Amino acid sequence: MKVLLVGLSHRTAPVEVRERFAVEDPGPALTKLARCDELEEAVLISTCNRVEAVVLTRTPEAARLRLRSFFGRDLAPDASDAPDFDRFLYEYTGGMAVHHLFRVASAVDSMVVGEPQILGQVKQAYRLAAEYNAIGPILSRLFSRAFATAKRVRRETGIAERSVSVARVAVDLARQVFERFTDKEALLVGAGEMIELSVEALRRDGLSAVRVANRTVAHAEELARRVGGSAHGLEDLPALMERSDLVLTCIDRLRPILDAPLVAQALHARRGRRMLVIDLGVPRNVAPDVNELADVYLYDVDDLQEAAAANAEERRRETLRAEAIINQEQQRFEGWMSALEAVPTIRHLRARGEAVRARELERGLRRLGLTADQRRGVEVLSRAIVNKLLHAPVTRLRAELEDESGIALLETARVLFALDDASAPGAEIDAEFDPGQNGDASLEATDDSVDDV
Amino acid sequence: MIEMHQLAAALYLGAGIAAWLGVALPAPQLGRVAVGVLGLGALIHAPAFAFLHNAEPPIPITDLPAAVSLMSLLAVLFYLALLLRVRLTGLLVLVAPAAFLGVFFAALRLSDPGDPSFAGAGSWPHAHVVLASAGFAFLGVAGLAGLLFLTENRRLKTKKFLSLPLPSLEALDRVNLAALALGFPLLTLGVLTGVLWVQTESGRPWTGSAHELWNALGWALYAGLATARFAGHQGSRSAAAASVGAALFLLFAVVGVGVLA
Repeated sequence: MKVLLVGLSHRTAPVEVRERFAVEDPGPALTKLARCDELEEAVLISTCNRVEAVVLTRTPEAARLRLRSFFGRDLAPDASDAPDFDRFLYEYTGGMAVHHLFRVASAVDSMVVGEPQILGQVKQAYRLAAEYNAIGPILSRLFSRAFATAKRVRRETGIAERSVSVARVAVDLARQVFERFTDKEALLVGAGEMIELSVEALRRDGLSAVRVANRTVAHAEELARRVGGSAHGLEDLPALMERSDLVLTCIDRLRPILDAPLVAQALHARRGRRMLVIDLGVPRNVAPDVNELADVYLYDVDDLQEAAAANAEERRRETLRAEAIINQEQQRFEGWMSALEAVPTIRHLRARGEAVRARELERGLRRLGLTADQRRGVEVLSRAIVNKLLHAPVTRLRAELEDESGIALLETARVLFALDDASAPGAEIDAEFDPGQNGDASLEATDDSVDDV
Repeated sequence: MIEMHQLAAALYLGAGIAAWLGVALPAPQLGRVAVGVLGLGALIHAPAFAFLHNAEPPIPITDLPAAVSLMSLLAVLFYLALLLRVRLTGLLVLVAPAAFLGVFFAALRLSDPGDPSFAGAGSWPHAHVVLASAGFAFLGVAGLAGLLFLTENRRLKTKKFLSLPLPSLEALDRVNLAALALGFPLLTLGVLTGVLWVQTESGRPWTGSAHELWNALGWALYAGLATARFAGHQGSRSAAAASVGAALFLLFAVVGVGVLA
């Protein structure tokens, strides 16, 4: 059994390609995947930056072709006609697929490294697969390890700690100046989208009042309605400045709209209460010398972008620590998969032992002519001998299968105990342990069953 | 008892190191660990100070090392109380090392015999030391908050903007103000009880000793600072700078003059 992942993402396909593969309703697609003979289990992850199918298969090559055809014919029929459609798709098999999925869930592979949405999107994909009965025990285990890995990465690294958008950097900055926002008033100069995005995060922290000043009062009224504030014309700026702890500007003007004398006058009226001014305008809306005034902290869009870029760089550095965690978790999962492979062999070994014991016991008892009590005694003895003989190899097999060397040991066990030899004693029970059917037995197994065997 | 002071000093040092690492890495969880270690240090420091009375011979509270131990303990307790209301974990980078230095100094000098002239002066010496130590402790925290405010203010003004787990300027300014509001009245009461103590001992309120002179100057400095601050004539930056300067002056007036004497 192999995990196979086929997909495309922002790393391989431009947005105009990605949008053609976007899955609006994953239900029918999942149903189709679940019906494919080559695929045992399937999950379909679809976000604005990636579309990936994660499947479990016994025939990786056939599954690979099936998935490529699925991407071309089912997800984006119009794109499949393009001659170079295939080059946008990537494939990962086995450990690489596991590693990739863990990176995706941990937001290490995201366009904005450390972004929080992807984990929720992967969880949603998993829930949908469960809803459409497209998922079984192995992919369930894989995804649950992916979620645990993502949590570990967030907890143990700084991958998600620093803000990487201008709006979030503005909020972080405000938090370094102000202790709380519930008694703070904000003034928005301008009524554009940028300013709305920036104030939205602050409003969530409980800004007590928002005032919007704009050249066109009607636009100010629109934004004021959306952010729950009041609308004003630009002529009110001096009076509004006196009451504002936080000033955000983003207005289309060739000359600064706020200069040092105006801000100094407002500060005087505020009796020195500090003021944070964030100038998102280009050209700048606030004269740079405003920052020279005591108790005023002026940041323009370049300052914020610089901070956002530095934070993004810091996050990228944290991905090295995240990769180490992902490697550990990948090894753990592969150990679990290997242990699954031991399940049929261990059952086979025990069944073979039992068959040999039963046959030899029967033969012996016929010749010895024992009483019923004596027969029971010999039977118990024979069971104990077989169990004791098998205990060491079975325990060792379970332990060694945590790493790759265990696979070789598994093969050795099959040879040493002649499990694949039809002429060996007790081979008549082998039909139910046909190696070709090992996968089925594995699929039945869960975490507990692996430990219980 | 001295060993307990040494243990408290070690814990304060540990808290300081954890707090610095928490800011430098940055790792906010280390800041929380540092607060826990500081609290543990205070739990050991409080009985260590109380046992000074049971030492053989008993160490009077009027001894400079004992008074410095009390100041450090009160400063730590005041900081921990502030933490309940304000996000101040980052201030530990200054509070913990300051507490360590105070307790370390006390532990080094506690074995020296006390000044016999203080014996038998009634309750005024105790009242003076407790009140003045509380005043010094609170004003010391005001100075530390002022120092961090100045550092943070400079960082934000020069746009060296990093998401460090340090308190906001507003929080530091509030702590500075609250510590001044509590510390100055306590210092005033400490000075008054000191005058009454001197009166009881020598029959006059002023003997002209270096300790009296420097502490009177320190009180006058804080009187000016408190007037300017509460009358609203001072911005937060100049208030922070003034509280740092005044705290350094007071440190010299209390510890420096005491050691030199």
